[in-house]
Amino acid sequence: MKHLTSYFMCTTALCFVAGAAAAQEELNALVWCDHTDPALIQPFEEANNVKVNLREYEGTGAALALLEQSRPGDWDVLVIDGIDVFRAVEAGVLAPMPEGAVSTADFFPQVVMEENNTVDGVTYAVTEKFGYNTISYNADKVDAADMESLSTVWSEKYEGRISIYDYYLPVMGLAAIAEGVATAEIGAGDMDAIGGVLSTMRSRAASVAGVVAAQTALATGEVDIVVGGGEWLTAVLAEEQPNLTWTIPKEGAVRWAQSIGVVEGSENPDLAVEFIKYIVSPEGQARLATSSCFWGMPANAKAGEVLTDAQKDILRWDSQPDYLALTQLYPAPDADLDIEMQDLWLETLQQ
Amino acid sequence: MTPAGPSRQGWGFLAPALIWTCAFFILPFLVMGAMSFATLEGRTLVWGLSLENYIELGQKAYLWRAVLVSLEITLTVTVVSVVLAYPLAWIIAYRVPQRWQRLVLLLAILPFWTSYVVRSYAWLLVLAREGVINQTLIGAGLLAEPVTLANTRFATVTGFVHFFVMLLTLTIYANLVQLPANYRKAATDLGANAFQTFWHVILPLTLPGIVTGAFLTFVLCIGDYVTPQILGGNNELTVPQVIMVQLGRRADFPLASALAIVLMALVTVVYLLSSRWLRLDRL
Amino acid sequence: MRALPFAYLVLAFAFIYLPVATLVLFSFQGGTLPVSPFDGPSLRWYREVLSDDDLTDALVNSLFVATLSSALAVTLGFLAAYGLARHTLSGSVLIRSLLIAPITVSYLIVGLGLLIVVQRLGLGVSLLTVGIGHVVINLPLCFAILYASMGAQQENAERAARDLGATEAQVVRLITVPMLAPAILAAFFLSVTLSWDEFIIAFLLSRFDVTLPVEIWSLLRSGLSPRLNAVGSFVFLVSVTAVLILEILVFRKRR
Repeated sequence: MKHLTSYFMCTTALCFVAGAAAAQEELNALVWCDHTDPALIQPFEEANNVKVNLREYEGTGAALALLEQSRPGDWDVLVIDGIDVFRAVEAGVLAPMPEGAVSTADFFPQVVMEENNTVDGVTYAVTEKFGYNTISYNADKVDAADMESLSTVWSEKYEGRISIYDYYLPVMGLAAIAEGVATAEIGAGDMDAIGGVLSTMRSRAASVAGVVAAQTALATGEVDIVVGGGEWLTAVLAEEQPNLTWTIPKEGAVRWAQSIGVVEGSENPDLAVEFIKYIVSPEGQARLATSSCFWGMPANAKAGEVLTDAQKDILRWDSQPDYLALTQLYPAPDADLDIEMQDLWLETLQQ
Repeated sequence: MTPAGPSRQGWGFLAPALIWTCAFFILPFLVMGAMSFATLEGRTLVWGLSLENYIELGQKAYLWRAVLVSLEITLTVTVVSVVLAYPLAWIIAYRVPQRWQRLVLLLAILPFWTSYVVRSYAWLLVLAREGVINQTLIGAGLLAEPVTLANTRFATVTGFVHFFVMLLTLTIYANLVQLPANYRKAATDLGANAFQTFWHVILPLTLPGIVTGAFLTFVLCIGDYVTPQILGGNNELTVPQVIMVQLGRRADFPLASALAIVLMALVTVVYLLSSRWLRLDRL
Repeated sequence: MRALPFAYLVLAFAFIYLPVATLVLFSFQGGTLPVSPFDGPSLRWYREVLSDDDLTDALVNSLFVATLSSALAVTLGFLAAYGLARHTLSGSVLIRSLLIAPITVSYLIVGLGLLIVVQRLGLGVSLLTVGIGHVVINLPLCFAILYASMGAQQENAERAARDLGATEAQVVRLITVPMLAPAILAAFFLSVTLSWDEFIIAFLLSRFDVTLPVEIWSLLRSGLSPRLNAVGSFVFLVSVTAVLILEILVFRKRR
């Protein structure tokens, strides 16, 4: 409330306040919602005496369009799906990382993902966080054994008790895995098979839900299973409802990874790099991993020294080697296939 | 009205509002119309006179079905809201003692001031399987098992009806209290029973109020994104939801514009159908 | 009152207040989930909400946009209504339809159109563009309310003032505005209410500084929590207090 009163006290001086704020250095970042947690951003703001402006976005396509239409210097930092880094580079919106500025020496080796973050030998981004789109469920209401195989998850037994996470890439990835198609190899020819799985899944589902709707549905007993869920969905509920849990079935699941990079044309490239260094530092990583929006594994293994044991338990820190081996990355369609996949997804919703 | 000054002065008073409306409403609308004939190649916008977006609308089932879904939901909401709000307005106007009327009316529309986004979310909590309704019905022994109410069309319609009942109660009430009491008395004196009085006297006289309220309901409802997004569970998509997906996931402004034009066309048809009774400049 | 109307009234009120009551009840929830069983009462979430700078900033932004855009909408609407009511102009029916037209268009379309233009011009979106959009949607309402309230009564007083040598500006300032004050206030507060609660235009046309409904929307997208209930209840409390004060101080007196 202190903000409110101070604003009212100096309504007339508002211009001056705005002027003073403008004098402070600002960093403009286009991000996912986990970066908007004040617990993550404020320490950086205070340490560097800067203001970090954050804007969330939904899909890579929209973010790229936004960046292309912005004036140079409008944006400094971009958080993006690891698999989409190359699209951003093609669109010319990411600047090369300064040589040796950010070290990945302490990262989990499997998530450094040079091949994602590097184009033609130039590094444009660095992995910051990863996790899984798999199966979340209510252990009190469903047979845990059924959740260990994709073939029994969206079976008739659970008709009307399933919610599907509303993002086409991971769910279509899961559908592909169920059909035995590797996510990296999904092509236009697989759309029929994937569409068939989606259609079955859809017919058994009570809803297709975003993050909050899926959490609400699980927490209120609306549904007992969320296809596409994972630690990011149930971690914030874990404290009160330990019966809400998640697993990775034997066929595997989809692994998401997000990368962070400097936007081409940034007027504050040094500050942007500083921000990225902070985000991948053990402290920044621990805060990002337990962000109020969604949890996820930090890319930097050193974050383990900062996270509490309870937090690591929720993240399943010790099971990561198995999970990494069992899961496949998000599908990474080219522009045409991407449109085809989105259309198929919307058709499925509207069926 | 008699002229009080040269008409040049009149134009001077009008100019700011006219310029504003033209610059920030008519012009954007025309640009959006032009955009609906453009196409997207990759992420590059190509202006032109292509009908591609409209053809796509006819071809892709999820697009034209969205139009049907929107129409069905909006018509249901409009009819249900009017049917529920009319008796409420009537009771407040004719059955509640005069000095309480204003208070009762104010109470009836007070939840209007909860934040609009939060209101839909609140319905989600009410309609959930462990929500108030299910628990009350089970507690009363009327239900054995909770029923699924949230994330359905029923939930979307309920959320909408809640909002529009408040709006319509207000407009219909305003209409009813304007009717001179003599009209009702005269009808009764001439031997009409309560129903005949209503059907032949009150209803025709309040029709403009009903139609104006219903039209506003239609416009606001068919263009709304928040309520179906929060309450519908994505089990079906309305036109605004599809527009927001086009904008949010792939920045397909041409297709979004074409959908907006279709939305606009639907409203225009309804406008023409109801224009006989519509009193928009006398709200 | 007979039984049936009374029963209907009670049922209608139950329906109208059901979501509000649920919202407020679980804003006092002790745990982290706003669902039964209720384990409060606790003020935990209110404390959290009131110490959230993003939310208080958004609240201030909303007040700012709502008052400024409404003041502009009322001013433009008043001038246009005065021009049309007091001067015979060719094509006045057309002008009236043009000014009223935005009412018949969904907010989403108004927002989308403005967004396209702003982007094509290479300008950035900000609270300013949100305000512009809100003036577009509120101008027709203000115009309609004020136009409807301009009657012969004021006209006679205006004519008298003019006969006594008042300039047009003096007539408007000293006669018309004071006489129309209730309608002007009503139009202003209706605009403030609509702008304060408007979501889609504010969502499409803002960047870093957002209004309260947009901030609530991002809360809603980022995790289930009684914090949402607390924000909603708090906004409700603030708005209702404002409405009641207005009702008592301003409108009651005028009757």
